[in-house]
Amino acid sequence: MSNVNWHSWAVAFAVSSAWIVIVAGLLQIAFNLLQLAFAAVSLAKRPPVVRSALLWRRYANQAPPIAVLAPAFNEAITIVESVKSLLALHYPDFEVIVINDGSNDATLEKLIDEFGLAIVDRYHDLTVPHAPIRGLYANPRIPRLLVIDKENGGKSDALNAGINVARAPLFCSIDADSLLENDALLRTVRPFVDTPDKTVAVGGTIRLANGSRIANGRVESVRLPRNFLALVQIVEYLRAFLMARLALSRMQALTVISGAFGLFRRRLALEVGGYSHNTVGEDMELVIKLHRHMRDLNRPYRIEFIPDPVCWTEAPEDLATLGRQRARWQRGTLETFAKHKDMLFNRRYGRIGFIGFGQVLAVDVLGPIIEVAGYALVPLLWLTGLLSFDYLIAFLAITFTFGVFISVATLILEEVELRRFPLARDLAILTLVAVLENFGYRQLSNFWRVRGLLQFLRKQKGWGEMKRRGFQIA
Amino acid sequence: MTLVDLWTISLLLSLTALLIMGGLIIVRHVSGRTQRQVQAKRSQFLPLLLGQASDEELVELRHSSSTILVPLVSELIELVRGDEREQFVATAARAGVTETLRHQLTSGSARSRITAAEVLKSFPDDHCTAALEDALDDADAGVRFAAALALASSDRAPPARILVERLGLGINENSMLIVTLLSEIARSRPHEIRQLVEDTGVPPAVRAAAIEALSGSGDYSLVKVIADLAQAADDAAPELPRYLRALGAFKHPAALPAIRSRLASPTWWVRAAAAESAGLISLADTIPTLCELLDDDDWWVRFRAGEALVRFGPTGRSLLMQVGENGSERARHAARSTLAEQAMAA
Repeated sequence: MSNVNWHSWAVAFAVSSAWIVIVAGLLQIAFNLLQLAFAAVSLAKRPPVVRSALLWRRYANQAPPIAVLAPAFNEAITIVESVKSLLALHYPDFEVIVINDGSNDATLEKLIDEFGLAIVDRYHDLTVPHAPIRGLYANPRIPRLLVIDKENGGKSDALNAGINVARAPLFCSIDADSLLENDALLRTVRPFVDTPDKTVAVGGTIRLANGSRIANGRVESVRLPRNFLALVQIVEYLRAFLMARLALSRMQALTVISGAFGLFRRRLALEVGGYSHNTVGEDMELVIKLHRHMRDLNRPYRIEFIPDPVCWTEAPEDLATLGRQRARWQRGTLETFAKHKDMLFNRRYGRIGFIGFGQVLAVDVLGPIIEVAGYALVPLLWLTGLLSFDYLIAFLAITFTFGVFISVATLILEEVELRRFPLARDLAILTLVAVLENFGYRQLSNFWRVRGLLQFLRKQKGWGEMKRRGFQIA
Repeated sequence: MTLVDLWTISLLLSLTALLIMGGLIIVRHVSGRTQRQVQAKRSQFLPLLLGQASDEELVELRHSSSTILVPLVSELIELVRGDEREQFVATAARAGVTETLRHQLTSGSARSRITAAEVLKSFPDDHCTAALEDALDDADAGVRFAAALALASSDRAPPARILVERLGLGINENSMLIVTLLSEIARSRPHEIRQLVEDTGVPPAVRAAAIEALSGSGDYSLVKVIADLAQAADDAAPELPRYLRALGAFKHPAALPAIRSRLASPTWWVRAAAAESAGLISLADTIPTLCELLDDDDWWVRFRAGEALVRFGPTGRSLLMQVGENGSERARHAARSTLAEQAMAA
């Protein structure tokens, strides 16, 4: 009798587990399909991609000033080239503010020597808190450059110092090691010019420069890397930016603008208290705070994402670094979600509460846990005879074959609408990678995300070590 | 639907996606070869467009109109200058580019319609003008605005008041490019833009844009009109700082009553704009208020007040030094920092 009870209990558990995994997976897939549709519409309706010269002629007279904020910590080797590249941006009125965040190396000295900087006074705002500023440096002959030397406080702290010191109505936050397209600011400022009364922030597409030819701080020709992890990340970035963010932007429910490149209204960033210090997801948190602020004020607003590639970055090429990065991203997402959990399914926050936070809950909070549980349980239960073959193949459909479809469909979107990869061979390689990533990499990625969840539960702080190879200069 | 159906659907979707992608890869491979031929044709066509093309050559150009010639003309038309430009435009028109562009302006995606409108601005014939005027009623706002800009930049725009209504300027369309559009019209018909400023039926955002479009005109009779608008506007009106800055741009002392009253506005961005303009016009009557604003709650107002005082020369600097000694802590900081920064700039 007890054996019968145990068996029926075990079968009920097995079936319930399988259904939870399958329903959660189906929800994610349904949302991905919806995103694909929205992304396709968004790409089809995007304005013409015109040459820089025409953009300049059309927008230069009306383009508002921008402060480009580049936080730098121990970047002595690359900082001079990075700043030269930033100073060469094509935009009518901009200022580059480099924030030396208490570097232990010669970052500041390199800047002072190369650009002939001297200490200056500048009356600046003190609205958002940050570690003390030790000095401001400039050279009257290079009026576009200002360097802030401050005590170490982390990236968000450095950005807050930049926001306080900036005087432009818009600021662009970037990573000091990001490579920007020459016309990145002109392209990204378009929503601010076209709908100035509503636009509060704009994100642009980040692409991976691994394998590409780089010269003079610019990506000269796009090439694929040889490293498999970097290749997989190219497909991941396409999915994240071309599908997810573009679609969420179309739905007006974008929850993240990448810390590597984002354009914001300075005044509103000040009103929400700037970047938060107690999270590694400060980029996401700022966007959520802006949503909350605008909704609370009941003011119409837009947070946009543009599909134009504006910024290039370097992806980790070893498992350890990539794992740390993904765990940190997951932790940042969870920290933001927990901090603003009252927005979830809250009518007061409209689409952002239902679609934006609903997506974070399904894809980022519950998704990895359920999927990893599924990897452990469903095959095990099937092997022990507690689960039917139907459940097993439904699980395989959700975790593998639908995954292949979503990735390849994103590649189709990219090829039909954007055609950024120069060679047919590149497309073939990426298609193969889009299939292969579902067998091994996807599982590993979910494992890293669960590790991020554990770090979040342990209240772990800090960024962890990031090993960079550096861009391959031609 | 059963669980097995789920598997079947996922397989079908994946295989379909892979097949489509395979097709695209093949198309890309083939187009990679034809691309070289296209490049060769483009190199062959360019001198023909810049020089005198024979009738035979025109026939060849016509045959390739939509695939090679129109993209080539669209890319290069803004780059060609001087006598060569006239030749370029005339040959392109004879080769049938305008027919293709006019067709493109009424069909296809909004993106291609916008591109067509932008290129058609260089073709001054009546057919192109009529096509662009029709595009002012396009379903897509971006196309409508591109057509308006194209017409305005080639002095063919309908009367400004009509344009405001047809495009819904200031109501549905609030782009900062409205200033560019009105500035283009103002080059040849400034009176129409002035009428917009004076017309109370025009949305305030358009009146502000019209003022900005005329702010470099040197028409000082506008100062009174703008000052009246600035006096009458609501304190939180988004166009109020634009009126105040326009007054600053005219640098005319008749703006004093409007600026003086707005220095006491409860809205910080209005106070900041008023302080900025007070400095630009050097309105001495505002100096005591500017000194008080060095202790404003908002940093921008303090900054603009300090900046304005510096513009008064030795008088302003002396006052900044006094506030730097005797003011509140916030005002002292503002005054000292402003002086230190200005000393470095000098």
